Amino acid sequence: MTVIGDLGTEIEGAPKGLHVAPRTVEDVALVLKEATASGTPVRVWGGGTRQRFGYQPPDGIVLSTRHFAEVEAWEPDDLTMVVGAGAHVDEVEEMLAGKGQTAVLPERSGPGSIGGAIATGTSSLRRARLYSLRDRVLEVTLVTGDGRVVRSGGRVVKNVSGFDIHKAAVGAFGSLGVVVSVCFKLWPVPEASATIRLDDPADARLVERPLAVLETPHGTDLFLWGTAPEIEQVAASISGTAQAGLYWPDDPEGSFQWSLRIPPALVADGLSRIGNWRYLALHGVGEIRLGSDNIEGAVDLRIWAEHQGGALVLTDHPDDQPPVDPWGSLPATADLQRKLIHEFDPARIINRNRLPGGM
Amino acid sequence: MTAIADFKRLLGPDRVLDDPLERHIYGKDASLMRGPAACVVFPSDADEVAEVIRIAKRHSLPVVARGAGTGLTAGASPITGGVVVAMTAMNDIQLDVANQSAWVGPGVINLDLSHKAKPFGLHFAPDPSSQSACTIGGNVANNSGGPHCLAEGSTTSHVLGLEFVSADGDIFEVGGPAPDPIGIDIRSLIVGSEGTLGLVTRVLVRLLPLPSDVRTLLLDFRSVADAAKTVSDVIAAGLVPAALEMMDQRMTQAVENWLHAGLPVDAAAILLAEVVGSSPAVESEAAVIESIGKSNGARSVLIAADEAERSLLWKGRKSAFGAVAQLAPDYYLHDTVVPRTRLVETMTGVYAIADRLGLTMLNVFHAGDGNLHPLIAFDSSDPEVMERVRRAGDEIVALCLANGGALSGEHGIGVEKRDLMSSSFSEVDLDAQARLKDVFDPTHLLNPAKVLPSGSRCFDFGGARLAIPDGAWI
Repeated sequence: MTVIGDLGTEIEGAPKGLHVAPRTVEDVALVLKEATASGTPVRVWGGGTRQRFGYQPPDGIVLSTRHFAEVEAWEPDDLTMVVGAGAHVDEVEEMLAGKGQTAVLPERSGPGSIGGAIATGTSSLRRARLYSLRDRVLEVTLVTGDGRVVRSGGRVVKNVSGFDIHKAAVGAFGSLGVVVSVCFKLWPVPEASATIRLDDPADARLVERPLAVLETPHGTDLFLWGTAPEIEQVAASISGTAQAGLYWPDDPEGSFQWSLRIPPALVADGLSRIGNWRYLALHGVGEIRLGSDNIEGAVDLRIWAEHQGGALVLTDHPDDQPPVDPWGSLPATADLQRKLIHEFDPARIINRNRLPGGM
Repeated sequence: MTAIADFKRLLGPDRVLDDPLERHIYGKDASLMRGPAACVVFPSDADEVAEVIRIAKRHSLPVVARGAGTGLTAGASPITGGVVVAMTAMNDIQLDVANQSAWVGPGVINLDLSHKAKPFGLHFAPDPSSQSACTIGGNVANNSGGPHCLAEGSTTSHVLGLEFVSADGDIFEVGGPAPDPIGIDIRSLIVGSEGTLGLVTRVLVRLLPLPSDVRTLLLDFRSVADAAKTVSDVIAAGLVPAALEMMDQRMTQAVENWLHAGLPVDAAAILLAEVVGSSPAVESEAAVIESIGKSNGARSVLIAADEAERSLLWKGRKSAFGAVAQLAPDYYLHDTVVPRTRLVETMTGVYAIADRLGLTMLNVFHAGDGNLHPLIAFDSSDPEVMERVRRAGDEIVALCLANGGALSGEHGIGVEKRDLMSSSFSEVDLDAQARLKDVFDPTHLLNPAKVLPSGSRCFDFGGARLAIPDGAWI
């Protein structure tokens, strides 16, 4: 038997099965080729923070990306960083902050990994100004189910060479391959920032291109960054309680976590339909993160969201399998998506079932 | 019945062009490569596009989508023949001001969209230099950029959803006004696919609020290196201006000869910087840029006093390619990207290539992105010059790749750079791209022989290399 990485090593929190932690891309390819040959399902494990998002894959191999935690290349002046999928989001952002930069990754990710953010397509709360995760990804290297190492994109901030497989990998739950490294388009962090709890939430409309406008049951916060004179002047022009720095809220409490995705103009309407669920609304984006203690009301909310061209997605829950369909109605391109996945994971071993319709 | 007769029955004789002159006109885009168009059709909606595709499929006729034909890589040239599907009649704009977006037809001209959105305080961010002519469909096909993509990203970041017709003639809508469509993001694959995966028939674009204030600065430098250092220092200071454009001396002279805008023709390089936002933001940011420029040896910093002055500066930048006509009747415009820190050495190398081959080269480019646009001015009536122009192009691309760059920043691959894809991607990478193409278009009906080199799908993992006959892609 070939020993691959830390074969049989225990991955904390992971379900039973063969736990492997390959150390090289070649070893990832070897594991996946073998798994494809034997039809063994492979669950990819980063920080383990979003494993109950989507349908659950069957038991089989659990493949940890923890040995892909290195920064492969970081050129601050080029605004690019290539980092392994197993690196922790928060640690990467902390490192970047040391040189006044950010990769615009999701805030407060805990032990969440780069690969996990990519697989689940989780964006920063700053996306109204700095765009979503797929917009920050310049290059991805992934290993397909049958063990091919495929690179898409490039390590420059602007590139139109070929099909953007690297962008399609965002939110694909590994179905196009196990992501091993990612090149991000970095952004410089300006000299000043502030968080303002608004006395009147409508004042948010007076501010041009804020970094974020986030509403929780506690109030509406305006997040600003820019030059010091700019921040001072904006802060003086609206009434509220200002603090220097950016204070990001946690996701709402609740054993069930949801992402309500609707056209941005409908956020207020959406908030009027959630009953006593806790919420974090991203104004200008159209996402409301929700926390609840049960699934009551979810069906009606989903029907409404889908009617508006959106979705209600269950992103976390306390059970082994989601108590309701985590995704809702299948996209019209489901058949096309299946064919596409087949070309990248012909035995459908990687994170099987997790996508809509159990793809 | 012939395909042309079928098209005429579907669309009527007025919306099908098949006389030799018209076929000749539509035989190429703004590139140098031409193909034999069988006919040109002008559908008005997705249903008609679907029927056009079905007819073409029945007659095994390649389908080549075309917007305004401003593309520079032969993406819209029917190089293997076929029907050219002109999207220009599909030019409806449905603004959704509340959601800061608009559903637009692929034939809508880029600048027309921003004009239509302006009364509502909105605009479309991607602004290629050809924006007064190029279409949104073409922007989507090529994932186009433009000077203002430095801060806001290329077209892909501004496409929220789209409708496309597949190679089977099925109509799909992907994405939409709500964020993060579930499942695989097909939208991201269609954008930038140059009409090879499907024909885009409607686009839901993001519109951004118009900035309330703007400052446009012109800095002039004694060396390209000083200008490049200024770009780096501005970004290191935590600023991403709306645009950071550089023009070299030859280009500045050509533009000034024609425009008389008072550009400093003795400067080695000029830098056009623009900051947008609230008044306090632009005032403080303009001050930072001015100060950094001066500390890097800028001889002067001009701040446009009003909209007229600003428009004049931008006219100089965006009309630069036209100004070249005074030097030579033809030009070949390149598009490559390098990491910004390699800008100066790449520029030096690019000039050396032109000098060695005895060619006139001018440069105007998106310095903030490291996106170079070396332009070779020449006279195509000289039979021997074309070979040198082509050789220079190959050498420039090779140099940029050697410096860690990419084949194209915003113009696309088309035919021009198709065969260079293998210098940027491995056999396995290209095979994955080819598999993707096959999922969408197994018979290669849609814009065949574009983007991917012939024989890309030849990698049989773990087995023998499959023999694919030459031209199988075509």
